[in-house]
Amino acid sequence: MYYVELAVQGLIYGSMYALMALGLTLIYGLLRVLHIAHAAVFTLGAYVGVITANATGSLWIAFPAAILAAVLAGIAIYRLVYAPLLDRPPLVPLIASVGLLILLEDLFRIVFGNQGIAFNENPYVYMTVTIGGLSIGVLQLAMFVGSVASLSAFAAFVAFSRTGAAWRATLGNPQMATSFGVSVAQVRYLNFAIGSAFAGLAGVLIALLNNYAEPGMGTIVSYKTLAIIVLGGLGSMRGALIGSLLLGVIESYGTVYLSGGVDRDAIAALCLIAILMFRPEGLAKRIAA
Amino acid sequence: MARFGIALLIGAAIFAVAAGSPAQAEVKVGFHAPLTGFAAADGKSASVAAQLAVEDINATGGLAGEKVVLVSYDDQAQPAQSIAIANKLIAQDGVSFAVSGTYSEPTRAAATVFQEGSVPYIAAYATHPAITAAGPYVFRPFKIGPPQGAAAARFIVEDLKLKRVSVVSVDNDHGQTALSGFKPAAEKLGLEIVGAYTFGMKDRQFGPIVASVKRDNPDVIYVAGYFFHGAPLAIQLRAAGVTAPIVGTQGFESQELISIAGAAANGIYVINGMNRDNPNPKYKSFMTRLTERGGAEATGVASAVYSAFMLLQDAAKRAGSIDRTKVREALAATTNFPHFYGTLQAFNADRDGQLPSPVIMVKNGKFVFVANIAN
Repeated sequence: MYYVELAVQGLIYGSMYALMALGLTLIYGLLRVLHIAHAAVFTLGAYVGVITANATGSLWIAFPAAILAAVLAGIAIYRLVYAPLLDRPPLVPLIASVGLLILLEDLFRIVFGNQGIAFNENPYVYMTVTIGGLSIGVLQLAMFVGSVASLSAFAAFVAFSRTGAAWRATLGNPQMATSFGVSVAQVRYLNFAIGSAFAGLAGVLIALLNNYAEPGMGTIVSYKTLAIIVLGGLGSMRGALIGSLLLGVIESYGTVYLSGGVDRDAIAALCLIAILMFRPEGLAKRIAA
Repeated sequence: MARFGIALLIGAAIFAVAAGSPAQAEVKVGFHAPLTGFAAADGKSASVAAQLAVEDINATGGLAGEKVVLVSYDDQAQPAQSIAIANKLIAQDGVSFAVSGTYSEPTRAAATVFQEGSVPYIAAYATHPAITAAGPYVFRPFKIGPPQGAAAARFIVEDLKLKRVSVVSVDNDHGQTALSGFKPAAEKLGLEIVGAYTFGMKDRQFGPIVASVKRDNPDVIYVAGYFFHGAPLAIQLRAAGVTAPIVGTQGFESQELISIAGAAANGIYVINGMNRDNPNPKYKSFMTRLTERGGAEATGVASAVYSAFMLLQDAAKRAGSIDRTKVREALAATTNFPHFYGTLQAFNADRDGQLPSPVIMVKNGKFVFVANIAN
């Protein structure tokens, strides 16, 4: 039972990685930009969630507010930072992105204080449900279910809707898509909007689980999701999902069994190195993007 | 080459004239603390405490009669910063003494520089044992990590009378040095360690550790980490139905522990936490002014920094001069100094202060005094 519980804990945390990694891999697939500042969008979502919940006393307002703020931030980042740099070598937007993450983290520090802010009321923190003999936190369950639901909805959207078709077309061959009347600019905005919405959702969920939001909460997530999308094969959505869950589970066991030798955060880096050495095309990648 | 030498001489002469102009009866004391970055809350409290201390020193005869000028820098709790700052304080600012208001890693890095410059350096609250190994000019009027860990084991066995412990620690200096004292002491006292886990500095989600502690079913959980670990960990343990008491290290001591953990904070013990019920009138006045200046967030850090400056004044008074060698000798000869954490009996051969470990706990959203673990 204990081993199952460790695996479940890993899947839950992995589902948060999945929410983050998906946005990152979408943006990489479309623009070839490693959007490191995605982690700042995640932190923004967390802060807006905490502040709104404290101000209104309702999580039903906090979630949409956080997601909306994340979407707007994502679009603004694309418009103001990446769009003007897209014709430069890929290192330029990458450096801009790293700089943006540092800038935004410090901005959170200056505006909201260094210690972070806690929820005034967060009754869900102590609630648990028992499923098949396993006791799981309500928020943990919400994280897993929320991730699975939103990622499935997204997959259905890409597979079956007209916009989804335009999206896939743009990913595959932007020039061809343009000549068929697809607005590449629109697809890009939509891409940032959806990716950022997932990051905002992940931010609020983590804030709820930790019971507070803090300025540096995105740092580790940022490099781990980076490892994940490399793990999965850059730009591959399926790979990112597999990579996320896999890393979550490996970390979960690693925390207990590698304790003392390797810390949890080092595990992502080790996986990254291993993949780059032995399978540089990534776990799930069969056809080059 | 010769021309360059002449230019250098002229430069030095101008510098000497410029430097010689301010009033003579001033002594510069260097200080560094993390004013920005992850440790900024501690740094803020440390820095306000340093200013208050210098004001009090100057109001009570200065350092052996000379007025203290505080030269303070932000080290971001980064060793790379603190090394640069230490060099700057010695070479550019010409400080006679220095106090560290920062964490172990940056203090350890700066200690070597101050030792090389023969500048007496007092580490106010950094706990890594190796800091004073830099040399005879480095002092620490504070309990180091291993005895703090040992005090935790004694508190669990002698005061709480519990027998089985799960140990959870952060994988940095703070966590591991506390553990290096806790483990042998636990063994000696017959306290059984039923599980030991480590986590990273940035971890806030402890799912696998909580599951493991739950399986261990200990009487008590010893957590060597900071409040930003302790608060979410306490919540997650309580949510998972683990009711065993939590004993934390000094890093837990922050009002934020209570504001983040809420109800889960109640009953958490903190080893080597500042006794807020300290009856010393000087302490009360200090706390009032600290709060007024917005430095009360990290009370323990502030108290330790203030006491470090007072110790410097005490040593200069006993030395009767601000001669660095004499002050160093006076520091080494300190006995029964009234530190805010308790009476500093003396410095040991490693120049680490011998003090009791106060234990505090969270009760109804406030830190209250529990016991003193004798040295």
